[in-house]
Amino acid sequence: MKINNLKGYKDLFRGYTELRVQENRSTSVSIVDGTLMGNSRNSESGVSARCWKMGSWGFASSSELNSDAIKHVISAASFNADFLNKKADKNLGDLPGGHGFGEWDHSFKGTPLTQKQIIDFLRDIDGYMEKSFPLLVSRTVAMNSLDMEKQVLTSGGSGAWSLTPRTLVYAVLTVDSPAGPVELYDSLGGRGQPSAVLIDPSEFYGKLGRLYEHLLKKAEGIHPRAGIADCILDADLAGILSHEAIGHTTEADCVRGGSVAGDCLGRSVATPLVTLIDYANTAHGETCPVPVYVDDEGIPAKDVTIIENGVLKGFMHNRESALEFNADPTGNARAYKFSDEPLIRMRNTAIVPGSSSLEEMISSIEDGYYLMKSSNGQADATSEFMFGVVQGYEIKNGKLGRALKDMTISGVAFDVLKTVSAVSGDMKWECGGMCGKKQPIPVGMGGPAIKCRVNIGGK
Amino acid sequence: MADRTTAPASCVNHLLKNGVEKAESRLLVSRKTEINYEGSDFSLMRTTDDISLRITGINENRRASTVINKTDDYSLAQAVTELMDLIESGEADPAVDISGYQEEEFFSRGPEEPDVELMYSRLDEFVGRVRLEYPSLLLEQVILDHTLKYRSYENSNGVKLSSKIGEYTLVAMFTAKEGENTSSFNYSAVCTENLNVNLWEMGSIDELMQQSVGQTVTTPIPETFSGDVIVTPDCLYGFISTLAHYLTDHPMMTGTSIYKDSLNKKIADTRLTLRSMPLSEQLSGGYFITEDGFKAGNTTILEEGILRSFLLTLYGSRKTGHERAVSSGSFYVVDPGDETLEDMVKSVKKGLLLCRFSGGNPASNGDFSGVAKNSYYIEDGKISFPVSETMVAGNIKEMLNSIVSISRETVNNGYSILPWIMFNGITVSGK
Repeated sequence: MKINNLKGYKDLFRGYTELRVQENRSTSVSIVDGTLMGNSRNSESGVSARCWKMGSWGFASSSELNSDAIKHVISAASFNADFLNKKADKNLGDLPGGHGFGEWDHSFKGTPLTQKQIIDFLRDIDGYMEKSFPLLVSRTVAMNSLDMEKQVLTSGGSGAWSLTPRTLVYAVLTVDSPAGPVELYDSLGGRGQPSAVLIDPSEFYGKLGRLYEHLLKKAEGIHPRAGIADCILDADLAGILSHEAIGHTTEADCVRGGSVAGDCLGRSVATPLVTLIDYANTAHGETCPVPVYVDDEGIPAKDVTIIENGVLKGFMHNRESALEFNADPTGNARAYKFSDEPLIRMRNTAIVPGSSSLEEMISSIEDGYYLMKSSNGQADATSEFMFGVVQGYEIKNGKLGRALKDMTISGVAFDVLKTVSAVSGDMKWECGGMCGKKQPIPVGMGGPAIKCRVNIGGK
Repeated sequence: MADRTTAPASCVNHLLKNGVEKAESRLLVSRKTEINYEGSDFSLMRTTDDISLRITGINENRRASTVINKTDDYSLAQAVTELMDLIESGEADPAVDISGYQEEEFFSRGPEEPDVELMYSRLDEFVGRVRLEYPSLLLEQVILDHTLKYRSYENSNGVKLSSKIGEYTLVAMFTAKEGENTSSFNYSAVCTENLNVNLWEMGSIDELMQQSVGQTVTTPIPETFSGDVIVTPDCLYGFISTLAHYLTDHPMMTGTSIYKDSLNKKIADTRLTLRSMPLSEQLSGGYFITEDGFKAGNTTILEEGILRSFLLTLYGSRKTGHERAVSSGSFYVVDPGDETLEDMVKSVKKGLLLCRFSGGNPASNGDFSGVAKNSYYIEDGKISFPVSETMVAGNIKEMLNSIVSISRETVNNGYSILPWIMFNGITVSGK
């Protein structure tokens, strides 16, 4: 369903209105210990409308995709906005403008892979793992792909269509140890449909081999010492720090909700080595993992420089928060499903690379930790964060030592960033991220490695 | 909804006509009415209408599924065609199956239609009270919704189960702010069949909001120690979910569960009895049909510390040789103990009242660690001060065997009924 088909409904809009048609298509395959356990395809599509009446939003959606359903959701959204407006009587003015147009198609243009070909691809990887990693007691390889196809039309004249695919292959390896099973996993792949990502399974062997080596070391690993320590956070952890601990506090709705960042605009919150950006679609000349060109409010997406040389510079906005903060909308309004309303969400959040090398950074630490991979992360309004760390090593006298068991690190992000004493010159994106905030949404995060001091949780 | 209810039967018939040996279909039709309050104002009224239709076929032990959100004839035919391709691409697994014949049943509970005016006025009263009683509290987001869910499961063994559940849910997320001092955010969710009582009287929401306004100034604990930790009902839910995870299909089938050989063995203190009770009349939430197509029942997971049931589906059961659980988990109820919460706090020499745990995913061997949020240092039997930058670490297996006491008091938020439990030997590390 392309833009021209929706334009006819614009006459039904009463005041500021967004109309969105969306389809999410996903494919899942999983092989657990050699048995094909997951083999499915999903498709969810529908239409939604959202109306603004003097400060009150009304939203309605339908899984039907026909003319009657489209007319119904426009009318129901308007009714809902009227209901709330009569009660709440906020009397706010018009939303700030900004209109985006265009079509962005990231789909694969060749012949798509069949389900059989996808299964065979994973079967090859599973066979490689079984043959090459003799100490495994369990192994899982899985693939999930998601195509998000969106079409947005607004009363202000925005009209955009996009198809943004993502394909991820997960490998989970488990070995036994005297203390019980030990697990390590990795995700591979990224932006693109299965046909673009699953080209040659042998391309994954090298990374899987390194994962297995790390796992064997982890099985003999140690618990870190609890307390504050000098650490190198590799790209994966620097990315989650940027996203969870800083990014969320600078989403304008979180600022309004009391986040500590609200009091810090224009202040120094990090050492001058730190510049942190939420990239809209392109970073350092390359397309980001989750490119957004026009957001779900029809706003052209632009990069948001959150921290520049250590100073907090800006927040991420939708139209409503831009009105409240007297700022420009930044194109961060995104919805996961057709039945979800757009929320302020990050896109691709990363610290800008510096000039140090990872080797120099490790050799500069006498007694600390090199933390490579996270399992999950949470942060709150104070910017205090917690990340699970599943892969890391101690550093002794500038050299990597024993591997670490699963652990947790924590800190107050705006304090931790003031301890950053080196930023590596390389840049790695982790594009397997799914952020949760009322709705899930795919995000990109990554960056260089950073040297800083964090609190280590341990026994 | 009436027209859509025939979709599962149509799908099963389509698949059988296409030659599959076993077919099943699960339909969920949901209609949601939601009012949002954000910051300092009502922000959004949202009504959504959605469908999820899952179709599964098995041929020569090859199983595949497809999910769509349409029920028109064309979409069903397309989905069946796609599913036949997926089955053809699949591989045989003798453990795949569908539920056996059961009597046709329909279950219903709760209001089908929302009282929108009452929803608004209850929410208005709630935010009005917060402004009055807790002026430093910022309501980042409060969502009150009514959802009607029609579920239906049918399969080629003649099973036909359906249910209609209407319920209200309230989710509130809040932070206190005084000057530039900000508390950690906290949140609460409750489920209720009606709006007869004030929203703040449900679950523990009022207590949590009251706690938040006293948490804008926090202090790190200046030492590391192994001590007593009293886990609140809100926080306990996460630990129980972790325990339950080890009993589910994936860790059990892969043999990586720490409890794989523990059925009918003591894995916890004898005072701990845990049930999954989706049919409990004391809980507002619940379900009548399991994910694998059976009429749901209540499951006793732990009985006086002894593991009585895993949480296996039909597939997990056939893979492992253990019995299928009659519930699909969740809706946990822990039997109360015999001590008052007040006495439990008085008995602590040095410890923590753990109100929220922000932790990493627990390791395969049961190790966990994370940050104590919205929590308090307890010293000499008194709650001393709210903490920050304080971490806790332990092992779930050891923790369950280190129970010091269980409170008489419990909190019922519609999803669970849980007491406060004090554990010994948890590592608490400050800054």
